[in-house]
Amino acid sequence: MAPLTPRRAVVSLIAAGSLWLTASCATLTVNSYAARGSDFRHYRTYNWSPPDTRPTGDPRLDNNRFFDERVRSRVEKELERRGFTKTPPQQADVLVHYHANVSQEIDIRDLDSSRSYCADYDCRPFVYDKGTLFVDLVEPRTNRLIWRGWAEGSVDGVIDNQDWMESRIDEAVAKLLARLPGRL
Amino acid sequence: MKPFLLKMTTGAIAILIAGGCAARMSVSSHVDRNLDFSQYRTFDWGPADALPTGDPRLDRDPDFNDHIQGAVERGLAARGLELASGRADLLIHYHAVISDRVDVNRFDRGFGYCGAADCPPQPIRYEAGTLVLDLIDSRTNKLVWRGWAQNRVEDMLQNKDTMVKVIDQAVEEMLRQLPRMRRVPA
Repeated sequence: MAPLTPRRAVVSLIAAGSLWLTASCATLTVNSYAARGSDFRHYRTYNWSPPDTRPTGDPRLDNNRFFDERVRSRVEKELERRGFTKTPPQQADVLVHYHANVSQEIDIRDLDSSRSYCADYDCRPFVYDKGTLFVDLVEPRTNRLIWRGWAEGSVDGVIDNQDWMESRIDEAVAKLLARLPGRL
Repeated sequence: MKPFLLKMTTGAIAILIAGGCAARMSVSSHVDRNLDFSQYRTFDWGPADALPTGDPRLDRDPDFNDHIQGAVERGLAARGLELASGRADLLIHYHAVISDRVDVNRFDRGFGYCGAADCPPQPIRYEAGTLVLDLIDSRTNKLVWRGWAQNRVEDMLQNKDTMVKVIDQAVEEMLRQLPRMRRVPA
């Protein structure tokens, strides 16, 4: 390998940065389950169930008011955009609950050098922090989970940057709640 | 003098980028952006919270806790805050967590240490420490600032001098991210 000159370092930094940005934007995946037989037309009001006290797996996020308030405000905004109204918990048709989790993942897909994804000298597993945000809707009358949506993707560098974290929360919440069954 | 400094700086940056083995501390913070931090004058240690628990190797180490408390008290005092027991404006809380993490060897085969065939990527297990420092408004009981520092901790756990240095660096770099307090230190 050629010696690392400052210019070379800057160029490779920019290259690595742009690669990394595209990779982390592309990797947000969302999915959801809906309980069969649930008629979402009946659900019009919501409130939050008691907050989650389980650790997230990342000390930066545990009891983090800034993360918590952003998730809650975005979920409320998206639900209200879909016609839900916030009412006292006793009167709510659905109770909302969220949970966040961060864990380290090792991705070995890039190791398939036969497909020449990577040059020989840089063929190594991709290690990253995967963040998952779950949003649950529970019907308090029956105490049944009627819907669960989740979004997951790399959060490398995201939590360390408050603005970036907030925009990732916004994106994740919007995408996962877009999967709620329609009420038309 | 100037070109020399520039050279030194770029050299240091290049080393930072290239050197996977150098201990790199990562420091960052979250803040309540709508808050005027100059209103705060006093601080005190808040009660420990129930979650999450720290690492027993650190929790049971009185030196570790002494050093952190000392570093935080000095750092806040330098920013114009007074330690006051009882009715303080800010309550301080910290916790330390150690977790096992995995990395893949950073010594690229491109450096010519070994050929591609006889040099498969090696996963490396290491222990990462996170020190989280919280500032809570005692009136609202709300978190108004959280800073953290993350670093590999093997060396620190084995050597007290290293531990003191790492703690001092972690606390100082974290507190540097605090919004402007009442009085700017001279």
